Amino acid sequence: MAVGDRGPKGVRAVPASGNPTVDPAAAASPGAAAAARAAARSQLAPLGPGELTAPIVVPNTLWRAANPLAYDGGRPAEITHLREFGLTDVGRRDDARWGALQIVPTKADYILDLIRANSLWPLLSGLACCAFEMMSGATSKFDMDRWGMFPFRASPRQSDVLIVAGTLTTKMSGPLIRLWEQMPEPKWCVALGDCTVSGGRYKRSYSTVQGIDRVMPVDVYIPGCPPRPEGLIYGMLQLGQLVKDQRGHWPEREIGPTVPDKI
Amino acid sequence: MDRNLKRRLEARLDAQIQGPIRQRHDQTEIRIKPGDAPDVLRTVHDSVDLRFEILADLAGVDTGAEMQVVYHLWSETSPDWLRIIVDGISRDDPRCPSATFLWTGAEWLEREAYDMFGIIFEGNRDLRRIFMPPDYTSFPLRKDFLLPDDAARSPGEGVRHIERPYGPAVVADDPAAGVRRAPAS
Amino acid sequence: MPTRPARPTTRAAGARPARPVEPRPSEQQRSEDDPRIMLDREISADLYEPIPPYPTRTEREGEFYTRGDGEMFINIGPHHPATHGVLRLVLKLSGEQIVDVDPVLGYLHRGVEKICENSDYYHVIDQVDPLEYVSSLFQEWAAVLSFEKLMDVEVPRRAEYIRVLSGELLRIASHTLYIGFLALDLGGLTPILYSFIERDEIVEMLAALTGARMLFNYFRIGGVNGDLNHEFMSRLGDWMSRAAKQTEADAALLNENEIFVRRTRGVGVLDRATALRFGVTGGNLRAAGVPFDIRRAHPYSIYPELDFNIPTRDEGDSLARYLIRVDEVRESIKIIDQCLHNMPDGPVMAKLPRLLRPRPGRAWGACEGPRGMLGVYTISDGSDQPFRFRIHDPSFMNLETVPTLLPGNLLADTMTIVASLDPVLGGIDK
Repeated sequence: MAVGDRGPKGVRAVPASGNPTVDPAAAASPGAAAAARAAARSQLAPLGPGELTAPIVVPNTLWRAANPLAYDGGRPAEITHLREFGLTDVGRRDDARWGALQIVPTKADYILDLIRANSLWPLLSGLACCAFEMMSGATSKFDMDRWGMFPFRASPRQSDVLIVAGTLTTKMSGPLIRLWEQMPEPKWCVALGDCTVSGGRYKRSYSTVQGIDRVMPVDVYIPGCPPRPEGLIYGMLQLGQLVKDQRGHWPEREIGPTVPDKI
Repeated sequence: MDRNLKRRLEARLDAQIQGPIRQRHDQTEIRIKPGDAPDVLRTVHDSVDLRFEILADLAGVDTGAEMQVVYHLWSETSPDWLRIIVDGISRDDPRCPSATFLWTGAEWLEREAYDMFGIIFEGNRDLRRIFMPPDYTSFPLRKDFLLPDDAARSPGEGVRHIERPYGPAVVADDPAAGVRRAPAS
Repeated sequence: MPTRPARPTTRAAGARPARPVEPRPSEQQRSEDDPRIMLDREISADLYEPIPPYPTRTEREGEFYTRGDGEMFINIGPHHPATHGVLRLVLKLSGEQIVDVDPVLGYLHRGVEKICENSDYYHVIDQVDPLEYVSSLFQEWAAVLSFEKLMDVEVPRRAEYIRVLSGELLRIASHTLYIGFLALDLGGLTPILYSFIERDEIVEMLAALTGARMLFNYFRIGGVNGDLNHEFMSRLGDWMSRAAKQTEADAALLNENEIFVRRTRGVGVLDRATALRFGVTGGNLRAAGVPFDIRRAHPYSIYPELDFNIPTRDEGDSLARYLIRVDEVRESIKIIDQCLHNMPDGPVMAKLPRLLRPRPGRAWGACEGPRGMLGVYTISDGSDQPFRFRIHDPSFMNLETVPTLLPGNLLADTMTIVASLDPVLGGIDK
């Protein structure tokens, strides 16, 4: 799939299967719909005064829990973003809103995606054995710095990717979900190793989470026990490709195992 | 197989050892009652000819009928490992005296035995859960705590269990049906 | 200038979601130990042990959570960049000085012992690998020692030599990583890169031998899985030709580094009596002055035939623990040399039935891992699964000394002491 190939209509207009109730433009408040039309018309022209009179309340179309027991027992977070206008004259284009508003991507967005894909900063989240393969992937022999992933940030506020490396236990799941929530968008999640993909060798255990996609949306699954650092690098390159293609399929991300249509 | 060790143990602890002292390979094993545990451990630790000063392990065991606490000790005076099995701890109210008066390192080992089995060590200053979250209510390594996929399956009946097709978990009405009992030896 | 919007913008002010949301389901019938997660933002305190005031459960907890004048609690949480794993340390600080510490474990508890009770003996060896994932062959070795005593199996000599060879290689890899992580925790970012170069070489060697880079699953009851092959021998030869010099170079980065020495000398002194009381084994015990090494005290495998020393030091501080590991790397290189010279021919695995059903009985097997004594206690009930499979991990006992070693030191010494004890959370949390 070539970068920038967005199909005949220029945008993947329809969200993937399995998402009822979605038409974000219509479901959002009228102000947001007006904003969508305005922005689609204007294409980076500043929004005039009076065009936006309502706050942008972005409903949560980013994560929907396929597992009925994730996230508060099935009730997803209703509101993802709340933006207040009135701070500037010029209507600000907030990139994080693109999932809801389906704005036609422009050249600036394309370059932004390239920038993001080439400098994905991972969050150090090494829990168990796979952490060592992640560290191997980051050090001299299989250097991930070649693709910009050198700084393994300790703080979630400064990182883009959460590479969950190692078995997630129920006791640790709380802190890990907090970390995920603290990461600012855009963010992606990579499941490294069998334990995070599906529970792996701890399928029968009483205290492990059977795959982190039960609690957070995963973009790339890297199987292996542990996967070789080359496997991790391949996964990260695939993530970069995903980022460049249509912003990582934002509207289609679900919590829960997802199988793409094309398989 | 240190016969000398067996003689020394019999000389010091004759009254407290239940049953014969067993020796196999490089291990010597004695069984005692929970009430005698502090005395036996103190004797075995302090006596000049025994001097088992290194605590190698403190484990809980759930034989289906009752519980045990197993100590493994090492001394310079003998090439054998000494295994002390504190037998006869009931499953309904498992209590055992703590070994923390001799070895501070036993504190966390006893916490682990409590967390996994529910054995309450009297004298341990810090008996709370160590692995499971603090509000967990079960004791995972007990024999009646069944893993989700193999309830009421008893292997060793002539067919390798791992070759059996996985069926739905069968929860018997009798709560002891799936519980494996230890052999009588 | 756009006017201030009239609608409420915050949830507290009454903003409602844009689309209908189904009401929250009522409390479901669920057992309290259901491992599924319920993440409730309002009651998030349940996921953590709350800091007091709350009724303390034990005497020691009460003592810890009673705050004196000017004392505060700092949480070095389960996710922190010091890469020893998911360990949580609750520190009670008075200014910069540590008054008390309460380590919280269990963030990596995977229930390995329970899984092993429901697995074949062969599968147990595989399950026991990820405990101390850095040095997984020693876990297998301890398990296999215990099973071989249970089943009265004799291991062919070539297999023993291969076990010792691969074990000592992994010991070198583990110690090299220890040196790198100790430096990393103190802020030095260079030695870790050298350590990982070294470790990658050794681990690729072992991958040529066993098939995997980390969780090897190589030892079997009665031997090892496969014989030596050309690729392994050629990589080993390459590495051995550089090993001694490489080790000296890696250690020299830190041995004479003034910052490193001043930060580790005299910090976290573990004296002999305390170490014995805590059941500490391995390099930490030898740094305290007790020359206890299972390979000499209670030899297993072919260690009686090999000629090597047990480095011991008296000071008991972090620097001594570090220097002991460096010495042990040199000793391991000597052992590998001897193994290669004296390698006998023969089979690499004893003949065993496919369905292993040992007689009912009990067996304890212990080996010397890089962190101390790894012990495995197995009870067999005559079936093809162990009735009780108990692993004793050395890092567990080593970490237990932290509440004794840490108080009195400054906050910056936390990572020095914890890193110098070399904990691996996989083994601690089983």
